[in-house]
Parts: sequence; structure tokens; C-alpha cells
Amino acid sequence: MYPRLARLLLPAALLGLATSACAASGAPTSTTTGDRSWSQIADQAKGQTVDLWMYGGDQQGNAYVDDVLTPAAAKLGVTLRRVPVADTKDAMTRILAERQAGTQDGAVDLVWVNGDNFATGKQADAWRCKWSSQLPNMKFVAPDDALVTRDFGTEVDGCEAPWHKAQFTLVYDSARVATPPTSMAGVLQWANDHPGRFTYPAPPDFTGSVFVREALYSTSGGYAKIPSQFEQGAYDKLTPQLWAALKGVAPSLWRQGRTYPRDSVALDRLYADGEVDMTMTYGSATLTKLVADGTFPATTRVLPLHEGTIGNASFLAIPSSAGDPEGAMVVANLALSPAQQAIKADPDTWGQFTVLDTHLLSHADRARFERLPRSKVVPPYDVLSRNANPELASSWVHPLDEGWRRAVLGSGS
Amino acid sequence: MLLIVAVTGTALAAVIATSLGLLPLVGQPRLSTTGFTSLSGDLRLAAEESLLTAVGATLLAAAMGMLIATIVLHTGRTGWLLVGVSAAVVTVPHLVGATATGLLLSDVGLAQRWLDVPVTAWPELVGGRWPWATVFELAWKESAFVAVLVVASVGRHYAQLREVAAVLGAGPRSQCRRVLLPLAAPALASSSLIVFVYALGTYEVARLLGRAFPEPLPVMAYRLFTDIDVASRPQAAATAVVATGLALLAAISTLPLVRRLGADR
Amino acid sequence: MRRTAHQPNHTAIPALVLFWLLVPLTPLLLWVVASRWSGTARLPQDFGLRGWQEALDAGMLTALVRSALLGLAVALIATPLGVLAGRALGWRLLRRPALPSIVLLAPVVLAPFAVAMGLDVVILRLRVPGEVAVVLVLSVFALPYTTFTMRATYLALDPALEEQARVLGASSRQARRRVTLPAATTGLVTATGLAFLVGWSDYAVTLLIGGGQIVTAPMLIGSSAAGSGNDSLTSTLALSASLPPLVALAVFTYAASRRRTAAHS
Repeated sequence: MYPRLARLLLPAALLGLATSACAASGAPTSTTTGDRSWSQIADQAKGQTVDLWMYGGDQQGNAYVDDVLTPAAAKLGVTLRRVPVADTKDAMTRILAERQAGTQDGAVDLVWVNGDNFATGKQADAWRCKWSSQLPNMKFVAPDDALVTRDFGTEVDGCEAPWHKAQFTLVYDSARVATPPTSMAGVLQWANDHPGRFTYPAPPDFTGSVFVREALYSTSGGYAKIPSQFEQGAYDKLTPQLWAALKGVAPSLWRQGRTYPRDSVALDRLYADGEVDMTMTYGSATLTKLVADGTFPATTRVLPLHEGTIGNASFLAIPSSAGDPEGAMVVANLALSPAQQAIKADPDTWGQFTVLDTHLLSHADRARFERLPRSKVVPPYDVLSRNANPELASSWVHPLDEGWRRAVLGSGS
Repeated sequence: MLLIVAVTGTALAAVIATSLGLLPLVGQPRLSTTGFTSLSGDLRLAAEESLLTAVGATLLAAAMGMLIATIVLHTGRTGWLLVGVSAAVVTVPHLVGATATGLLLSDVGLAQRWLDVPVTAWPELVGGRWPWATVFELAWKESAFVAVLVVASVGRHYAQLREVAAVLGAGPRSQCRRVLLPLAAPALASSSLIVFVYALGTYEVARLLGRAFPEPLPVMAYRLFTDIDVASRPQAAATAVVATGLALLAAISTLPLVRRLGADR
Repeated sequence: MRRTAHQPNHTAIPALVLFWLLVPLTPLLLWVVASRWSGTARLPQDFGLRGWQEALDAGMLTALVRSALLGLAVALIATPLGVLAGRALGWRLLRRPALPSIVLLAPVVLAPFAVAMGLDVVILRLRVPGEVAVVLVLSVFALPYTTFTMRATYLALDPALEEQARVLGASSRQARRRVTLPAATTGLVTATGLAFLVGWSDYAVTLLIGGGQIVTAPMLIGSSAAGSGNDSLTSTLALSASLPPLVALAVFTYAASRRRTAAHS
């Protein structure tokens, strides 16, 4: 009798607990770092262990954090622990769960995010805010740098500290592409002329998503024609041409457009195996190593578009549920220091472009950046980011991804 | 038992609650079925794809698994080698198996290179109209699982019964049919059910080896769950509920058969 | 032994089965020894130990140790519970076995979803320490495998033997230990192995519920597989992650068979 009763009551009790958590927790506890000086924060950080959750598929990045950043943090008294994730979305799942549960001493102290993941977190009030302006090294970041003040159109609001800059890059094999196209429209035309030799990852993959946005810029006549925040009217006016262009090129794509690579890793594999002649990436830092170790052909080159491509920055954010926020701030500041940014920008170490404005640096620091070796595959940032286009706001991402799935992939109920 | 009910009951309740809009990430909970209705067409296609993959994988896994088990139980030394290799296959994670299968069966994969088939003539095994590669990978790994399970549950007993049968004049074929199959039936049936239910819920294999659309239910659920728009979570949970519902339906409908096989001793 | 016309098949079929089991592993095995494999060459251009170096740099050894501990913890909890439940189901000690059987299957279906869609929030609210929660949840996921294995094993055993032992004066515990368990050894080993594997090869629960506090081998494999150009690293990690369970299984089986032959003599 009793065991049976217990068997019924226990799940009910748990369910009750769960539903009591129904409404999302209220506003996060106010960030109290505003009234503390930096030296106080640095003191409190000593002895803390900071769990940095970051994408673990880039061996160079892992090596940089383990072999360079961690010892540097140890000198400041902070133990840095890298938690590898297959996708930042996995980290977001944990952060959002902690947010929903109202945890205060969460397992995620610092996370490498940008764009859509940051927007998701902001939508859920999951970030600690108004702290990045306190970092001493922020003075080396240009205050009016559009890539840093807004992340995917969302106000950064001091909720995250910049870490790298990135540029969406198309990559091609110069041995297989005789006359490389010079614009996005040219790329689609090239795909038409060479059936089966081009494709792009299916949104909502991050790289596929930004490719669709690039195509939208192209079919709309430039990014200036598109309101940066999502507007249904603009969407209805501009997307028909986009879908027409993408549907028009679909039969000439790989597998006649019946399916698309699941993500950029799958597309890279197609490119490496020679099934397609072009690939694309938002993280051009990886290209140098991919060519050096033979994954990509040695004749791989970056394809510049004369209208420019989308650029953005990626950040380090601290969840509102973080257990060691002071240590996290110290690490973010360290990662932003000119010394670390210069080491990180070396193509042999990691090759990630710096977020610092070199004009704001001292002579010695600026020289460090000028002395950086050049990659054979990736042009230096100032060349690559010529004509950089800004990103649309994150409110555009979901409608465009959904629209693509419906119009081009054929889904939709 | 209590533990299972507690954990899975809570999990199931949480998923259902999310799908009905009761556990929102942002905003107030509001009961609604838009999670289900906004997806109905896609859900149906995804369910069909899931079922197709699961049925194919289960049948192939059961057949190959039984074949492996039969060979193991009938031969001596070779048997041990096969058991060892099967155990090795069971330890390989599905993610790795899927990557390897992709490397093997893709349009320019190892199989195409070694068999010297021209690229254009190679069938679309990965990401094609039919989920060949997905079914193959699932069947491959799960056949090892079935084999190991059958051998483990039947092994010694079968050896004794075989001797008796041989004394009574039965040849190897009828030993198989009359003794091994009935003896192995419960293990085969329950492991096949586990394989089917697992195949309905597996995510990584279909994600790597399947086509972009329609995608099986778990892939769709993950895509919706990690969508930038947190309002997609109820849809993700709805997909999960459908997958769970299908699996439970399969379990409920075949469980009497499994029990009856066990009763036929 | 009668020579039948099937003699040539006696080597062909096992060879084919071995082929079926090993073929998908070939890309893996080649990548483990490759230091450079570009384009569509049939074989790697350069052989070397690059993958092993990268794996060691990635922290493979400590991850393997943590995976082992997790697997052991899960096996320690899930196997005894599985034995109890499997015995109840296999020897038909329950009045209505249908419901528990279905309940037992639920974790297999829910496994990928449950963790992310609400269960993690509940566990966080209950303030269960991450590591404990991981072991508990994984044990729940392992229970279907252990229970069904033991059920199949007990189905092949005769409860009458245990009763006879008790009639002859043994206590029920002695009867269980001396009579039934030795006969169920293969099943026990398999069940323990499966439970161990559930803990050894899990990614989602360790990450989301454990809060990344334990970095295990599957997390390294998952991260590596999520990047381009990591094939040699992923393959090496996967191979290293497969070896310890195999070795453990081999040792276990050898020890068990020694004990059995000792008991027989």
C-alpha cells in the first residue's frame, strides 16, 4: 500500500516543484560590480576557478587557451578551466537552464559567444551586464567601433567583452576555379555555370545563415537598403527576389539542391574531398592550419567580393548565474590585453584578428602587431575587412532561416 | 523501479509541459497547443522518416545480430573472435561510427575509391532520398549489440541443449531452428525492441548521414530547441513528445509478443 | 563430425560477418595511423603518430580516467538493480509485468531529449550536486539495458534449481549466490559491460547536468568531431576510448570462464 502511494506521490511532488518553476525567474540579482574598483575586483578574483566554456573543435584555439591564457591567468591568481563543447548552443542550454532554475553558483563562468547565442541569452536575461566598461583594457578598444558596441544589432550594454573580430570569407580552390567570381551575384552565376560544384550549409547552421544574409544583401542592392532591425514590410518586399535567386540556382548546386550539407564541417569535407570547389567560413583563422596539415588543398585561396562581406566580433560573456564572476572579469580583461591579443593574432598560434584599435596602443604594442607573420592563405585583417558590411539584427535571423527552409528547402506545413 | 519512475516521469512531464507552453523560458506560462499545430506537416514527414529509419535498422540489426550469434554459438575459436569484434563494435560511440560510415560511403568515400566506381555512378547513400547510410550505421552497431545480448543470455544453456539434440540425431540446421531460435527468441525480441526505440530517438547518426529535409524527429527537435528564437522551444518539445509517443506505442504493442516468447519455454 | 556440403560455407559466412563488423571501422583505423591524408587518395600520403600527439595534447589520458570512474559508478548502481528487476521479469515474479516493462523502456526513448528539455532545470532547482545527478540519471538510462539483459538470462535459467538448493538446506541468499549467479555469469558480465558503456560514452548528461565539471572522453570526441580537419584526432580519441572497455571485458570474461571451469572440475 505505502510503496504504491509513494510511487505516485514522488513524481507528483517533483512535477509540482517543476511547475513551481513555470514562470521564468525574475530579473537577475543586480550586478554589484558597479560600486567596486577594479583592484577590489582583482583581489576578490584571486583563488577563484573560472570555467570557460568554448567551442572545442579548433585545436589551435584549445592550445592557445591551455598553454598561453591559462598560465597567464594563474599569474593573476585565477585558475582557468576550459570546458570544451561541440557547439556553443550546448553551453547556452546549460546557461538557460541555470537561469530558469535561479542558480547563483552556476557551472558556467565565462562563455565564448557572439551573435545569435548572445541575443538568445539577452532575450532570456541570462547575462550579467554593465561590467565590460570596467575592464582596464577596454580603453584600447575604439569606443565607436560598430562591431563592438552592437552584437548582431543587439546593444551590447556592457554584457560581454570583445575578444576577436571575424570576417565572413568565401574560399575557393584556385586550381579548380579558373576565373574566380568577384561578387555574390557572380558566385551564384558561377554556380549556375558549373553544375554540382557549389553548395552552402543549410540554415539554421550559423555559416549557412550568414550566407543567406549575404545573398540578401546582394539581391537587395546593398545592406543600406535593409533596415537593420527586422520589419515585416521590408521582409515581404525584399525576400521574394532572394528566394527566387536561391531557388533558381538550386538545380545547379551539389546534389541538384535536393539536400544541403548539414553544417560548415560537412561543407568543408565536401570541399576537401573535391566534390565542390568552394567553401565558406566565418572563422578564417582556421584556414592557415587546414591548408598546412593537408586537409584543404594547397591551392586554397580566399575569394574577395568587391562589395565586401559581413564582419562581426565575438565576445566573452558572463552568465548572470556565474559562480565566479570576478575571476571571469579578470580573465576577460587579460584576454583583451595587447600582449594576449598579439599572441592570439599570430597565424601559427591561432590567427584570430584583434578587436583592439592599434592606433590607441603604445608604440611598443603597435610594433608587436606589425611584426606578426603573414599567413599564406588569409590576407591580413585590414585587407580582408575592406568594405566590411555590418550584420543585420538578430531579429532577422529566425525569419530568414525559416523563410529559407520554406521557400528553398521545401519544408513548411 | 521507483528511481526510474521518478526520473523519467519528471522528464516526461517536463517535456510535455514545455510543449504545451507551460515552462517558458521567457514570459508567463500559457497553455496552448501551437507547439504542435504550427508544425503538423513537418511533424508528419519527420515521423515518417524516423519510422522508416527505425524499422529498417531494427530488421537489419536483428537479422545480422542473429546470424552473428548463430555463428558464434556453433563454432569454437572463430566464435570467440566474433564475440570480441562485436564487443569492440558496441564500444564505438554512434557519433564516431557515423563519421566513419560517412567517410566510407560518401560520394567520394573510401568505398567508392577502393571499388573503383566512377563518382557519378556512385549511389546517393549519404544524405540521399532513402536513409541507406543511416540505416546501415545503426544496423551495424546494433547488430553487434543484439549478437552480444543473445549470446550472453543463451550461450551455456544452448551448448548443453545442443549436445542433447545431437545425441537425438538432429543435424546442425534443425538444431538451429528447433533449439536455438526458440531459446534466443526472448533475447532477440527484447533487444530488437530496444534497438527500435533507440533508433527512433537517436540524433547524431541521422544528423551526420541524413538529408536536410525531411529530417527525423530527434534532429528536428534539437534544431528547434537550439533555435535563436526561444519561442521555438515548445515546438521542439512537441517534436520530442511525438517521438516518445511513437516509441511508447511500439513498446506497448509489441510487449505482449515479447512476453509470450518468454512464456514459450 | 559429419562432413556436410556446407563445409565451404563454414568459412565464407563467418568471414562475411567479420567483414560486416569490421568494414565501417576501416576509415577510423586508417586515420589513426595517418599524419596526412589529403583529397581523394586511396590511402594516407603519410603515416605517423600525429593523432596520438594531438590526443595527448587534448588531455585524453585524464579524460579517459574520468570516463572510467563514471562508467564504474553507473555500473555499480545499474547492475544490481538490473539483476533484481530482470529476475523479477524473467522468472515472472510480478503479477502484472506489462507496466514495469514499459516504464523500463522509457529511458531509452527519452534519453536524448529529457536531459535538455526541463530535467536539467528541475535537477538544478533541487540543488542536487552535479556529479551525483549525472551518476543517478545515467544509471536510470542504463537500467533498461541491464534489466533486459538479465531478464533474457533468467528466462534461460530454471528457477527450480534455486528451489532445490533451498530444499537441500541452503538459505535463499546462499542459493542465489552459489547456484543462480554462477549460471548467469555471461549475462551479468554483459549487463555490467553495458551499464559501464552507458556511463563511459555519454556526452549530453555529463555536459548539461554535470555542468562540465567532469571532462570525459566523449566530450573530447564530440568537440573534435565538431571541427574541420580533426579526423586523425577524432579517430585516435575514439580508438583510445574503445580500448579500455574491451580490455576490461576481456579480463572479466577470462576470469569468469576460469571460475566456471574451476567450478566444473
